[in-house]
Amino acid sequence: MKIRLSAVLLGLLMPALVLAGEYDLTVDRVQIDTGDFVKEGIGYNGASPGPVMRFKEGEEVKINVTNNLDETTSIHWHGLILPFNQDGVPGISFPGIKPGETFTYEFPIQQAGTYWFHSHSGFQEPDGAYGAIVIEPEGREPFRYDREYVVQLTDKHPHSGDRIMRNLKMMPDYYNREQQTVGEFFSDASENGLMSTIRDRMAWGDMRMMKADVEDLQGFTGLINGRGPEQNWTGLFEPGERIRLRFINSSAMTYFDIRIPGLDMTVVQADGNNVQPVNVDEFRIGVAETYDVIVRPKDDQAYTIFAESMGRSGYARATLAPEEGMEAAAPQLREPARLTMADMSGMPGMDHGSMAGMDHSNMEVMDHSNMEGMDHSKMEGMDHSGMAGMDHGDMMMSKGGANDPFYAKGSGLMPTAANGGKFLSYADLKAQDPLYEDREPTREIELRLTGNMERYIWSINGIKYEDADPIRLKYGERVRFKFVNETMMTHPMHLHGMWSILDVGAGQWNPIKHTVSVNPGTTVYMETEVDAPGQWAFHCHLSYHAAAGMFRKVIVEGGPDSTQAKADAVNEEGGEA
Amino acid sequence: MSASKFMVAAAFLSISAPVLAAVGHDNAHGHGAASGSPGRISEASRTIKVEMYDMYYEPESISVKQGETVRFIVENKGNIVHEFNIGTPEMHESHQKEMMMMVEHGVIQGGKLNHDMMKMDMGNGHSMKHDDPNSVLLEPGQSQEVVWKFSDKGNIEFACNVPGHYQAGMYGDVNFE
Amino acid sequence: MSSRLSLTLFSLLSVALLPVAVHAQEMIDDTTARKQPLTTWGVQFEEFEYRYSDDDEELGAWNADFFYGTDDFKVRWLTKGEYAIEEQAYEGLENQLVGQVPISKFFDAKAGVRFDTPEGQDRTYAVLGIAGLAPQWFEIDANLYISDEGKASAELDVEYEWLLTNYWILGATFDTTIAFSEDSEIGIGKGLVSTETGLRLRYDLVDRAFSPYIGVVHERKYSDTADFSKMDGGSIEDWFAVIGARIAF
Repeated sequence: MKIRLSAVLLGLLMPALVLAGEYDLTVDRVQIDTGDFVKEGIGYNGASPGPVMRFKEGEEVKINVTNNLDETTSIHWHGLILPFNQDGVPGISFPGIKPGETFTYEFPIQQAGTYWFHSHSGFQEPDGAYGAIVIEPEGREPFRYDREYVVQLTDKHPHSGDRIMRNLKMMPDYYNREQQTVGEFFSDASENGLMSTIRDRMAWGDMRMMKADVEDLQGFTGLINGRGPEQNWTGLFEPGERIRLRFINSSAMTYFDIRIPGLDMTVVQADGNNVQPVNVDEFRIGVAETYDVIVRPKDDQAYTIFAESMGRSGYARATLAPEEGMEAAAPQLREPARLTMADMSGMPGMDHGSMAGMDHSNMEVMDHSNMEGMDHSKMEGMDHSGMAGMDHGDMMMSKGGANDPFYAKGSGLMPTAANGGKFLSYADLKAQDPLYEDREPTREIELRLTGNMERYIWSINGIKYEDADPIRLKYGERVRFKFVNETMMTHPMHLHGMWSILDVGAGQWNPIKHTVSVNPGTTVYMETEVDAPGQWAFHCHLSYHAAAGMFRKVIVEGGPDSTQAKADAVNEEGGEA
Repeated sequence: MSASKFMVAAAFLSISAPVLAAVGHDNAHGHGAASGSPGRISEASRTIKVEMYDMYYEPESISVKQGETVRFIVENKGNIVHEFNIGTPEMHESHQKEMMMMVEHGVIQGGKLNHDMMKMDMGNGHSMKHDDPNSVLLEPGQSQEVVWKFSDKGNIEFACNVPGHYQAGMYGDVNFE
Repeated sequence: MSSRLSLTLFSLLSVALLPVAVHAQEMIDDTTARKQPLTTWGVQFEEFEYRYSDDDEELGAWNADFFYGTDDFKVRWLTKGEYAIEEQAYEGLENQLVGQVPISKFFDAKAGVRFDTPEGQDRTYAVLGIAGLAPQWFEIDANLYISDEGKASAELDVEYEWLLTNYWILGATFDTTIAFSEDSEIGIGKGLVSTETGLRLRYDLVDRAFSPYIGVVHERKYSDTADFSKMDGGSIEDWFAVIGARIAF
């Protein structure tokens, strides 16, 4: 209210001094038609997904958000650097937007790239309240391309978010239809021997863990820009053009492996920040992440954008084509992913002695089945094309095939490209123009990612948000966060308000991200320059994990001028624009 | 680079040769096959300054006359290693495979070049020296000259073949007046 | 330069005209639902079925529970019964109201009361039990009961499932009751009282909300309890064919 008033005064006094834009968004009940089902959901300006918001770096934006729902809402500008009270998290940034109310967000745009926005209230985001943000840089784009498309993915489920949460609490495997069956027992037994299969099942049964526990929420229809596989969103091109595709994963729960059969992709941006280009055949996009890729279809034909869920329970599909109506074949889904003991290695309180004794045999069994099932043939394919007759230890590494250092060694989630080629790894991401000077962190904070699948409880350091004290940081420090994933699930950790400098071992070239995916059984480090006063949310971006307790409030104490820090947050930030 | 890969590259060039009406693809590397030939500085009619930034050139296109010799002063003003290479898109494509190898062997390391590695014998009498006359490979801050005679009209681009850079759009057009 | 000037003026204006603006940027407390314990509820009919016995007895039977609560404390109402269709009488009718708290990663403890109100004598019991998931995926529910007559008994339920496919599921149940003292009024003898073993093949038709099944159930009474039953003209062993549905919402 006061902010709005002062902005009006400012506007009256100095209309022409600042590059400013005013935008309106309404939050509405909408119909969502996936082609497989129609459901009631939440959207912006009458549709889900909402509009693509296009801003310009250096612009002062003013966004009027009108809540037409009968419940409180909010919009979080995912990945944007802004004053904390504009960050849109009810209970942390502001009280939220009440039914019938219009709230005006005002903040300077101090960055460029691909981002997104979504509600941070209840399960409105999985229910459809999300949209894309594209920010044009102040100078030129450092890449050359002829056209661009936003490719925004989601995992649209026929159930409402509230119902999904309740079902998961009641039966954690409620939606899991990729569980191991009696048939799989017999096929494993014939492949690996009866005794080793029994030992394998006993080892998992003893832990009361499921190898199939990769995707909590199955039964969704993958959407691209709001369109299901049958509705086939299509982006047009002229053969020979370079196309920038801005991939955004707005899913509630689903990681996607994305490929465009017949086209190489060059990854040029991750989470809105330019990276040194990497040519890949396929990449995995975690929940809430964004990747920009450039492709160059040379032939007069259609290409399928195929996004297969990490657990292979579903997919999204779209098309790039020279003209509307053309389409290419959609590939088959690969075999469902199975966790291995390697993915369990982060779990504490397990009897390591007996693990070693008993699980060695299992490891072999499992790795064999994995390798034979999917990797072996691809490994060969890869060897022939890329590495004929050469000896490259590190090449194996960079090919990312089955050796991504961001997965536990032998992990069942280890990605491999469908065509045997290059699969993007976090290790490939290097900043193009590092934002921060590299310096020693001032301290380290360990965050163990913890949970109890049977109770569907998710937590950090064993404590749910409801019982947790805030994480307190000091303005000006550089904190090194150590994520230790002690669960068997992958967690996309999202710190609001400040960049996450992901440690890929590249020193000053470490990329900056807003969402850092931590795979089971792994430890991942990220550093944060604590440069934004106020209080911020920090959580797993899987909607139902965050709601089940894997969430923290971060308080940044002090500021550029510590006494005025809080009050001046807006003005300080603005001053740099 | 294995011998077989060179065979593939050579075969590719010979297939495309009639289309390009190329001359002089006797050069085993395929460099400069259809894009002209190394020029002499005394013949240079003018100097064009090309600045390399992270993922783009300034200028992004140049105009030349057929037969003209141009002296390029190429400066890397970016944060990471870039190349300035004159050739056809096909030549760039085959050169990119060699550059990929240079990255995989640690010759190109983001902002640095490992000069020792470049001299290493790769077998078959090849090294990763990157000493072809149609190109320069520069660390940030470095500047070097390329003198080139545009003897053949054709689809010629100057490009950076460090892996991913060309695909990301780090190329410039050579227009014939 | 100009934008900086405007911003300076902006902050001057804010301070001079709108002192409350400072307040708006204060760090608020999280009083949203997210900071509260997540409250949830559910209804599950593990059995809701028609039984037809080998001596032509027809029964309606159910075994259900309703829960409401948080991770730390749930209230659970468990109900099960057997209704003899011909006699129009409840052969068994049992309702429990228990509070449930977690005691380990996979197990909960529960305590409460149980009311048995079948045809004939009623009983009220105090209940103490544990329920959870044992290694190798056995669902365990073990309870100790003390009746208003001061008689103690124990009951153990074990369930196991085989996934023939991800939709065709074969479920096995085994319940057994042991009495520590006789309660002849309700036909309970000391020692092993009874067992009920069931095998049901279900198909998940609507999510896991509605899963029709068919199966067989075997009931048997033992020792003194069997004798009481015989004296009463009842059977000591029954086989049932069952058809029904598992319901959860």
